[in-house]
Amino acid sequence: MSIALLTLIILGLSALGYLLGRQRALAAVEGDARKLHSLPSYYGASVFLFTALPAFLTLLVWLIAQPLLIERSVAGMITPADIPAGTTLSLVMSDVQRIAVGTEQLVADGMSETELAALQADPAGLRSALGRLGVSVAETTTPNVLEAAKAYRASASLGHFGMIVAALALAVAGLLISAFRVTPELRARNIVESFIRVLLIGASTVAILTTLGIVFSLVFESWHFFQLYPAKDFFFSLTWNPKFGGGSSLGVWPLVWGTLYVSFVALVIAVPLGILSAIYLSEYASPTVRSVAKPLLEILAGIPSIVYGLFALVTVGPLLRDWLAMPLGLGASSSSVATAGLVMGIMLIPYVSSLSDDIINSVPQSLRDGSYAIGATPSETVRQVVLPAALPGIVGAVLLAASRAIGETMIVVMGAGAAAKLSMNPFEAMTTVTVKIVSQLTGDTEFASPETLVAFALGLTLFVFTLGLNILALFIVRKYREQYE
Amino acid sequence: MNLMQTPVSDTTALKPRITASGVQVYYDTNHALKDVSVNILDRTTTAFIGPSGCGKSTFLRCLNRMNDTVASARVEGKILLDGQDIYDKRVDPVQLRARIGMVFQKPNPFPKSIYDNVAYGPRIHGLARNKAELDEIVETSLRRAALWNEVKDRLSAPGTGLSGGQQQRLCIARAVATGPEVLLMDEPCSALDPIATAQVEALIDELREQYSVVIVTHSMQQAARVSQKTAFFHLGNLVEYGDTQQIFTNPQDPRTESYITGRIG
Repeated sequence: MSIALLTLIILGLSALGYLLGRQRALAAVEGDARKLHSLPSYYGASVFLFTALPAFLTLLVWLIAQPLLIERSVAGMITPADIPAGTTLSLVMSDVQRIAVGTEQLVADGMSETELAALQADPAGLRSALGRLGVSVAETTTPNVLEAAKAYRASASLGHFGMIVAALALAVAGLLISAFRVTPELRARNIVESFIRVLLIGASTVAILTTLGIVFSLVFESWHFFQLYPAKDFFFSLTWNPKFGGGSSLGVWPLVWGTLYVSFVALVIAVPLGILSAIYLSEYASPTVRSVAKPLLEILAGIPSIVYGLFALVTVGPLLRDWLAMPLGLGASSSSVATAGLVMGIMLIPYVSSLSDDIINSVPQSLRDGSYAIGATPSETVRQVVLPAALPGIVGAVLLAASRAIGETMIVVMGAGAAAKLSMNPFEAMTTVTVKIVSQLTGDTEFASPETLVAFALGLTLFVFTLGLNILALFIVRKYREQYE
Repeated sequence: MNLMQTPVSDTTALKPRITASGVQVYYDTNHALKDVSVNILDRTTTAFIGPSGCGKSTFLRCLNRMNDTVASARVEGKILLDGQDIYDKRVDPVQLRARIGMVFQKPNPFPKSIYDNVAYGPRIHGLARNKAELDEIVETSLRRAALWNEVKDRLSAPGTGLSGGQQQRLCIARAVATGPEVLLMDEPCSALDPIATAQVEALIDELREQYSVVIVTHSMQQAARVSQKTAFFHLGNLVEYGDTQQIFTNPQDPRTESYITGRIG
C-alpha cells in the first residue's frame, strides 16, 4: 500500500468522523442545535482532528525515523574489508540503499521472490538485472554488501507494513474514542480553537527554526574554516588571492570594500530618484497619471536581475568606459563599480519608490489640510510636514533596498567583474562577497579545503552585515515613532 | 440652555469683510451648494448651522479656497474679500490662506514641537526678521489661544503629546500666528470635552475683538452662545441669515423653526 493511498484512507476515515461527530451531537439533542455547547460543525471538526492528527503525526515521524534506524542496524553487517580504499562507510551505505531499492523495483516489475532469491545468489546476474533498471553496481561490491542490501530490503518492507498498521489503528481508535465522547456539553468549539492556536504556533516555529538552522550551519562551517585558516588573516589581511593548490591568502577586506562601494553607488542613485518619484506620485500626480506610472515603475522590480546584468555588460559598461573613464583617464575596463552600481541603482528604484509611496500616502490628509490652510505650498507641505511624518517608513524602505544591494550577485558579476581589489577608483573592476561565494563553490571541489570553506565565513560576514542593517532600521524606526505619535 | 445668555451687540454699524454672491459648488455632478449669498461682517462671530450634509462646511471651505485641493470640486459665483474676488486668476491661494486662517474639526497638530507648530506659518511667509521676533510671535499667538501658561516650559515638546483640548488651542494659535483677518472654524469643539469646549468658546469671544470669526457647528447652544450672526443651511441652500438672537427667538422661515426646535435635522 503506497503512502498516497494510506493518506487517502486516513482522510476518508476523518471525513467519516466529521459526519459521525456532527450527527451524534445533533442526535443527542434531538436536532435542536441551540441546546449544544458549540455549533454542530465544531463537533464534527473535533472528531475529524482526533482521527487525522495522531495518524498523520505517526506517519511523519515513522517516515523520518525508519531509514535512520534501518541504516544503523544494517551498517553493522559491513566490515572494514568491504569498504574500498578512498571511499567511506557512508558511500558504501548509499550503495546498499540503491541495491535494496533496485531489487524492490525488480519485484514490482513482476519477478517472483524465488527468482529473486536465485538471482541474489549470483552477483553477476544481479548486477546485469539491476543495470537494466539503471542501477549500476560496481564490480568491487562484496557479498557482504549484497547481504546488507537484502537485510535492508527486508527491514524496510517490515517497517512499511508496521507503519500502515500503526497509522490505520490510530486513525480508527481516534475516530471511535472521540466520536463516542460527543455529548451536548462537550466544548468542541474550544477544542477546535486550541488546535488552530497550536497550528499557528507551529507555522511560526517552522520559520524561526529554519532561520536558526541556517545560522547554525553557517556558524558551524565557518568554525570549521577557522580551524584550517587563521581568523587573524581572514579579518585583517588586505589581499584576496585563493590558490587551490594551497598557500592562499583569503583576506575579506577587498570583498567587503567592493560590496560596500557598489551598494553605496547603487543607493546614491536609487534613494533620491526613488523618494522623489514617490513624492511626485503620491502628492502631485493626477489619479490618471498615477494609475499608469506606478505599475510601470513596479515593472522595473519584476525584471530578473540577470537581465539587468546583461544591460550592464552590453550597454552601460561600454558607455561609461568610452564617455567617462577613458576621457578622464581613469581606466579602460568596461567592468567597473560604477557600471554595476548604476544598474543596481536602477533596479532598486521601484523598491524605494513603491514602499515610500505607500508610506507617504498613509500620512493623514488632515496634516496636509492643516499645512495648506496656513498657506503653505505643496512643496513646503511635503518637505516640512509629510516627509518628517513618513520618515521612519522611508528609512525602512531605504534599508530594505540596502539589504537587497548587499545581497545582489548577478549584476555584480556581469557589471563589476570578478577581480578582488581595494581601490577608490569607481571605474576599476572590483567584486563583492556574494560573487566570491559563488566562485569559491562552483567547480569540482570538496568541502574540506579552506578555499571552499571560506564561502561559509563570507556568508556569515554578509549575514552579520544585513542583520546589523536590520537592527539599525528597527532602532531608527522606533526612535522616530516615539517622537511622532 | 437659556438663550438670553447670547452676547448682545449691535452689528449694524460693522462693515462686511467677505461678500459672497451666487456661490454654487459641485462635486462632480452633485450640486452641493446652491446659490448662496451672504455677508460676513468684520469683528463678528458668524455661526453656520444646519443638519449634516447641508453644505455649511463646503461653503466654509470656499472662503479660503480649500476646495481647490479636492480634485472633483467646482466653485461658481463671486466671493469678495475686502472687495477683491478671491477666485480671480491673479489671486494666489497660498497668500489668500495666510489672510484667512482655518481650524479643523479634529485637532491636527504637525508632528513637530509646540514651538515649531506655531512658528510654521510665520516661517513659510517670512513674517519674522529674526529669532527674537519669531519668539515673540509664538508667545503672542499662544497667549491669544490661552495656551501659553500651560506650555511655556515645554515649547520643544511634541505638539502631538498635548491633550485634545490643548491640541485644538495649539491649532488655533497656529492659525492666528500668520495674523489672519478672518478665522474659519469647522466644528472646532466636536472632538473636545465640555471643559475644553468652554475654553475654546471663551477664546472665540476674545478673538472676535480682532478678527472676523466664522464657525460651523452642530450645537445650536454653541451657536447661540458664541455668535452674533447665524446662517441656517438646509440641503445646500442658505435658508435664513440674520442676527443670532432673531434666528433663535423669531425665525422667519418655517424650516429654521423646525430645525432649532428639533423637528428636522
